[in-house]
Amino acid sequence: MTKKMFGMIIGAVALLLLGVLALGWRPARPVERSIIVEAEKYAYTPAVIKVNKGDRITLRLKAKDVTHGFFLEGYDLDAQARPEMPLFWVRRPSTGEAYRTVEEVRFVADREGKFRYRCSTTCGYMHPFMQGELIVQPNRLFPASLVLAVGVTLISLLRFARAGGT
Amino acid sequence: MATIRNQPAPPHPDEAPSRTWRVNLFEKFPWLKRVVKARSFQFSMILPNLLLFYLFILAGLFGTPIGSRNIIIVFVWILWWFVLITLMVPLLGRVWCTMCPLPVFGDWLQRRALVKVRSGDTVGLRNKLFGLNKRWPRKLSNIWLQNFGFLFLAIFSALLVTRPIVSALVFGLLIGLAVVLAYVYRLRAFCSYLCPISGFLSLYSMTSMIELRSVSADACQKCTSKACVRGSDQGWACPWYVYMGKLDRNNYCGLCMECVKSCPNDNIALFARPFASDIKLKGYDEVWKACIMLVLALSYSVVLLGPWGHIKNWANISESGNWGGFAVYASATTLLALVVFPGLLYLVVRLGQWLARAREHTSRELFIRLAYTLVPLGLLAWIAFSVPLVMVNGAYIISVLSDPLGWGMNLFGTAGFHWQPLWPAWVPYLQAPILLAGLFWSLRTGFHVALDLFGDRALATRALAPLSVFLTAITMVFLALFVG
Repeated sequence: MTKKMFGMIIGAVALLLLGVLALGWRPARPVERSIIVEAEKYAYTPAVIKVNKGDRITLRLKAKDVTHGFFLEGYDLDAQARPEMPLFWVRRPSTGEAYRTVEEVRFVADREGKFRYRCSTTCGYMHPFMQGELIVQPNRLFPASLVLAVGVTLISLLRFARAGGT
Repeated sequence: MATIRNQPAPPHPDEAPSRTWRVNLFEKFPWLKRVVKARSFQFSMILPNLLLFYLFILAGLFGTPIGSRNIIIVFVWILWWFVLITLMVPLLGRVWCTMCPLPVFGDWLQRRALVKVRSGDTVGLRNKLFGLNKRWPRKLSNIWLQNFGFLFLAIFSALLVTRPIVSALVFGLLIGLAVVLAYVYRLRAFCSYLCPISGFLSLYSMTSMIELRSVSADACQKCTSKACVRGSDQGWACPWYVYMGKLDRNNYCGLCMECVKSCPNDNIALFARPFASDIKLKGYDEVWKACIMLVLALSYSVVLLGPWGHIKNWANISESGNWGGFAVYASATTLLALVVFPGLLYLVVRLGQWLARAREHTSRELFIRLAYTLVPLGLLAWIAFSVPLVMVNGAYIISVLSDPLGWGMNLFGTAGFHWQPLWPAWVPYLQAPILLAGLFWSLRTGFHVALDLFGDRALATRALAPLSVFLTAITMVFLALFVG
């Protein structure tokens, strides 16, 4: 394996990585999405919500069995729903404000990536593990890390094969 | 006499292929040697943990059944676990065994002493030991029981890590076992062969950045007393029955430091070394431990950190009562850990053997040696799994400090602290590089193992190629779970 060839392969992996990142830049047209999230020990339905960056989300929260919370990472949103109540309670945790009663909550999915929504009100034994996922595409971290995994493997193998490089 | 754990004679640590630097910490920090040589060293390390641990057990028995409000769950399964897997194991190896409170009653039963040492003559050892001092069965002188014990506990982990009473009863059972085994068998049979925590510590301590070793192999060869393993009037016989002259891996050294005290030649020292310096697995029991641990990291990530409520309900059997679902979950985990994953590993190793045209090594040898590649990746996968535990659920530590039993106390004024995760949106950005680092270290050490086996760079690379693809695929599965 010559140094030139080694450099070419590293370059190819870097280009592939850049390509993946560049593809991620292509914006999808924002749309309105209305989502009803139902909470029941110890799961949310839907368990995974996929939206595009820029989508305007209208969210309603319902609890089916006991009081459940809904803490959405990355969006400064914490809500609480009680069974058989059409309204729910919401607050912005960063401000320290008290919960206010709402019928629905609206926000723009302006941060891309994978964000968990978690129960923030103790609801039973498995409460700390009750969670769902909001995936705001493009979630560039995922394809980028896959490419990096392939890159780490290729470069490692090539380095091993090369004389003088362990 | 029980089998010495580290036969046959290994190369001296300096000969390990990945060794690039090694620092004698006792030379660099003489105070450390003085501290370690003090007779009260280990008991002083154990005592605070002992007090805390029994507070935890009381909290488990008499405190609130709500896990996130009970100190046994919050401190053991969030704080302790995180510190253990992310800091203690990779940096300090089995240092938890130095301070573990589980075997302390058993030790006392054997030694009738907490600090002082008794010289004497018991079954070939130079100490006076009490109890039956029977020999541990040779057929069980391996870590298979630890493998099955850990897998069994892990299948019930949804109960163990959420129910204070279950945690308290399991810890109580482990203490009881440690006491009974210490009375019946010589030395620390419980730690060596049964403790489920010890099993994974033994595997992942191979990566740790410290090691306790002899300074001079020559001094050990000339030593006639073998006081490190047999004991002396200065120190107890090695509770793990390890002869320091042949010790070449961290796996079965519990860092109790008795050998530092008993060595008549002052030939034992603590060394700092590079990450993942021990690269030799030595038996199927260790290979299966590596497989079980990696599969369990995957299983925990799906069950506890995944969004799939029905799988949580399967695992949460005592509440859901869904025995059919539990059977699927338990049998799938067991099958994957004991059959499918080791089977896949064997296949890729055989493929690598075929590519390298390696006929001078048996498939068994290659399988055992190359399985080491699961160790760095497994450890880093566990660390990646543990990051959200502390960043998300670590907030419970603050409220539980003031109300450890969930009885409504407010000892430090923090009982009402509202649950607030710590930068949770950044968790995937930490997990991805951790996993990639695990892949890198697995490949790197895998190459050292292959080079050690084949002695030829090209052959080593060819033998490693299919395994590299396998390790990359495993990493991608974890990436899909954590960031995908």
